[in-house]
Amino acid sequence: MKKWMKVVGLIVSVMLLLSVVACGSQGTSGEGGEQSGETESGEKVAKIGVISYLTGDGAAYGEAITSGFEMARDELNEKHKGELKIELVIEDSAGKRDQALNAAQKLINSDNVLAILGPTLSSEMFVVGPEANAAGVPIMGTSNTAKGIPEIGDYVFRNSIPESLAIPAALKKAVDEFGIQKVAIIYGSDDDFTVSGYEVMKKAAEDLGLEILTTEEYATGDTDFSAQLTNIQAAEPDAILASSLYKEGGLIVDQARKMGLDVPFVGGNGFNSPQFINQAGEAANNLVVASPWFPERDDAQVKEFVAKFEEKYGKQPDQFAAQAYDALYIMAQAILDAGTVTDRDAVRDALANIKDFDGVTGDFSFDEIGDPVMEPVVLIVKDGKFVEFK
Amino acid sequence: MADIILNPYYMQIASFILINIILGISIYITLSTGLLSLGSAGFMSIGAYTSALVTMKLGFPMPLGIVSGAMVAALAGILVGIPTLRLSGVYLAIATLGFGEVIRVWFNNLEITRGALGIPGIPQMGREITGSLREFGITPDMLGLRANQFSALILFFILLILVILTVWFFVRLQRSRIGRAYAAIKADEEAAEAMGINTTYYKVLAFAQGALVAGFAGALYAHTTSFINPGDFSYHRAVEILIFAVFGGSEVIWGPIFGAAFLTLMPEVLRGLADYRFMIYGVLLIVMMAFRPQGIIDYQVLDWLKKKVKRNKSASPLDKQKGGDA
Amino acid sequence: MNWQQVINGLTIGSIYSIVALGYTLVFGVLQILNMAHGEIFMMGAFIGLMMVVKFQAPLPVAFLAAVLVTAILGYLLERFALRPLRGKAGVSHLAPLISTIGVSIFLENLAHHWFGAETHPFPVSFATISYQIGGVKISLVQLTIFIISITLMVGLSLWLSRTKAGTALRATAENIETASLLGVNTQKIITLTVVIASVMGGIAGVLVGMAFNAVSPQMGLEIGLKGLAIIILGGMGNIKGAMVGGLILGMTEVMSVAFGYSGYRDAIAFLMIIVILLIRPQGLFGQSAPQVRK
Repeated sequence: MKKWMKVVGLIVSVMLLLSVVACGSQGTSGEGGEQSGETESGEKVAKIGVISYLTGDGAAYGEAITSGFEMARDELNEKHKGELKIELVIEDSAGKRDQALNAAQKLINSDNVLAILGPTLSSEMFVVGPEANAAGVPIMGTSNTAKGIPEIGDYVFRNSIPESLAIPAALKKAVDEFGIQKVAIIYGSDDDFTVSGYEVMKKAAEDLGLEILTTEEYATGDTDFSAQLTNIQAAEPDAILASSLYKEGGLIVDQARKMGLDVPFVGGNGFNSPQFINQAGEAANNLVVASPWFPERDDAQVKEFVAKFEEKYGKQPDQFAAQAYDALYIMAQAILDAGTVTDRDAVRDALANIKDFDGVTGDFSFDEIGDPVMEPVVLIVKDGKFVEFK
Repeated sequence: MADIILNPYYMQIASFILINIILGISIYITLSTGLLSLGSAGFMSIGAYTSALVTMKLGFPMPLGIVSGAMVAALAGILVGIPTLRLSGVYLAIATLGFGEVIRVWFNNLEITRGALGIPGIPQMGREITGSLREFGITPDMLGLRANQFSALILFFILLILVILTVWFFVRLQRSRIGRAYAAIKADEEAAEAMGINTTYYKVLAFAQGALVAGFAGALYAHTTSFINPGDFSYHRAVEILIFAVFGGSEVIWGPIFGAAFLTLMPEVLRGLADYRFMIYGVLLIVMMAFRPQGIIDYQVLDWLKKKVKRNKSASPLDKQKGGDA
Repeated sequence: MNWQQVINGLTIGSIYSIVALGYTLVFGVLQILNMAHGEIFMMGAFIGLMMVVKFQAPLPVAFLAAVLVTAILGYLLERFALRPLRGKAGVSHLAPLISTIGVSIFLENLAHHWFGAETHPFPVSFATISYQIGGVKISLVQLTIFIISITLMVGLSLWLSRTKAGTALRATAENIETASLLGVNTQKIITLTVVIASVMGGIAGVLVGMAFNAVSPQMGLEIGLKGLAIIILGGMGNIKGAMVGGLILGMTEVMSVAFGYSGYRDAIAFLMIIVILLIRPQGLFGQSAPQVRK
């Protein structure tokens, strides 16, 4: 009998804990403001949830992304005053899947958002995507590049260009310009982002008929790449293909140059960051990467965005900020097309129909499953700066 | 109350709490023989991967997948336990930590686990059950619920039942011959041996039970998040599980349960303090070791709680008689 | 034999050795594993980096600053995480392990908070200078690392065998009660041990920063776990074992990459732990260790 009292005690305590959470969070969700709907003045209010990596190792990504969103929100609310007001409810995932899932559940069920932008990492999207899809909430990734994201379901989209589009473009350009025939590959083997980049890289190299001399692996957090680079040096490649985050990428390039390995690098999306150049310095030169975003592009819209962003945040927008900025514009377009701020299905359909949207990252459309159709720009580092590779 | 029960957000957090409670129990079981194993994350990963793979590749039904995940983890526990349990104290802790890391690197390099890419699209308990009920013509809106409310509820109740069963089993176990043997080994291994307790057998048994429970939790985790990769089961996870037991207490089973529940809830309630969370964890460990090495919940706290509950129960009828002026 | 890879192995191996020395000193005297050693190493690296980057200090000054700060950290570690547990009734032998894990988590996240998550480059003025000897290229940075490591190892050995304090330390390691009966101030020796161990870690931190041009809050965890593997390999508390063990681990890791198993590089340390503990739990150089097995 006593045992069962304990069991009952356990249930009660779990319930008690739950109610603590309830009290704790009701306070915060209350600040989110009114439900999506129409105000007295006839202005429609659309509540959009954001899940972003705001604390922890990758906080820099989340920060750039939310800056992009906030800037787009302010502009849109100015532009569509009296017609549409966008409210962002921003939640932190700390780069962790269970926290991303909690955040998504909160946005979908407590905040009743119309749609979700984010989460930051592809692996987070693999957890959050199916839940949003099952709940019928349109969700659009702005920084997920892995294979299989829009395939999760009808409600899952992304405006970030997948590696399968970016890496082959960069490699093709590098092969054409440098006359590359033999390559070596180095990649981080314990990170989903770098591994999926590697797989694309390998396939792209094979498609172009390149000879892969050696493939080297390392683990996230490694700092000593001398052994791998010595192997690569011995193989005498024409170029090195690297799938890394900028953290390890900067070190690899730096240590390679110090060893006297002067061949060009072709990188995955992880290299596409001002941080990479900060870290590698001089050694960064001759790195080729494809990017959806090029801040020096000769385009009035881009120039205006860069100037405004620099004024507001004191630094140049990176690709994450630019993609996030475009994403909210695309979402707003879909909401206006759908003509509703309550019907999630109508917004999903309108989103799927977005065609030839002209954003700061270029001309944009969704394909039939929700992947972006766009032309990446190929960049190369020259004198410590990303410039267009022509 | 209904607001909470019907909101998938709260159910989601509650589900993670329940899974972490099972993890807390797993480290508690080995600790109850005085052994510190830092391999729980490794066994958890074995359970998670086994269940994910057999359900997805071999088409096992989910309950069978979860059971096989737990069983394979237990088997690994026996295989690892027999040789390593000749070690004691810090040596065992380090060896099991090493085991966990080797397993992680192995999963990173295996073809079938897709390495660091992880396994997406693992059947999710709530959604799967909602789906199969629909085939029988039972739909969530018959209960006046949305599909995601229904599936979150189902997930929560399944986990709740499983946690209750697990706790019940180990509370019973503690009062059995096995539990007394564990306690004797923890108090003094040589004396236990002298009294005729086969210490090696019981140590391996405790280790395997710990692995079984960790594997079970891992399998449930896989079918809750629907995505796993080796990074889920790193050194940090092992330390987190350790903290459940250290903070909550490792003398009584309610210690790690309280620790897991409290420490899983904290970051959700204090979302704003996220930056300081791990610093607080660190200080917590140091302070706990210095001032309360047995954890928050020990026998005394438990006795005090029991008394309190009893007094309330006996007091309440009196209150009524006195007209509630007590 | 690829001699270039041997040089790579020696570079990382000699750094591992210094890290392991710090671990093994503490274990020898206190019989505890200092899980915070890796994070003190990381702090040393950051202090060195700050001196070089923020104050444009020359390298020797950076080393001095790192030594100073890690010595203070070592003292604080002993004072607040270890001393309260010592001699207290009912404290399990696992308590110091857990409490130093606490220190390591705290320091890692403190560094994260102060310095950010990214990897900071460590500018060294002579980073690009290197010498060609036969078919092998050795950089000046690598040479500096060899010289500093060898000096440290020889210095520590001499100090332990030739000086009074060193003898007292060895006596304390042998048997703390006897040493205290013989008039050794064991409290002082214990503090000194933790401080010296931390300083070794701090110096190794600056060396790693220099060698690989990288300092980050996460660097302590990986090297800390490897240091653990080394002292188990060499024999816990054994000075010679730590030195040789470090070189063995460094060489094995590099060779695993040289022979095409780069994906398993980081598992080697842990495989080593498991194999050694099962075959020869006292380690390569340990005599016998009664407390290892029961």
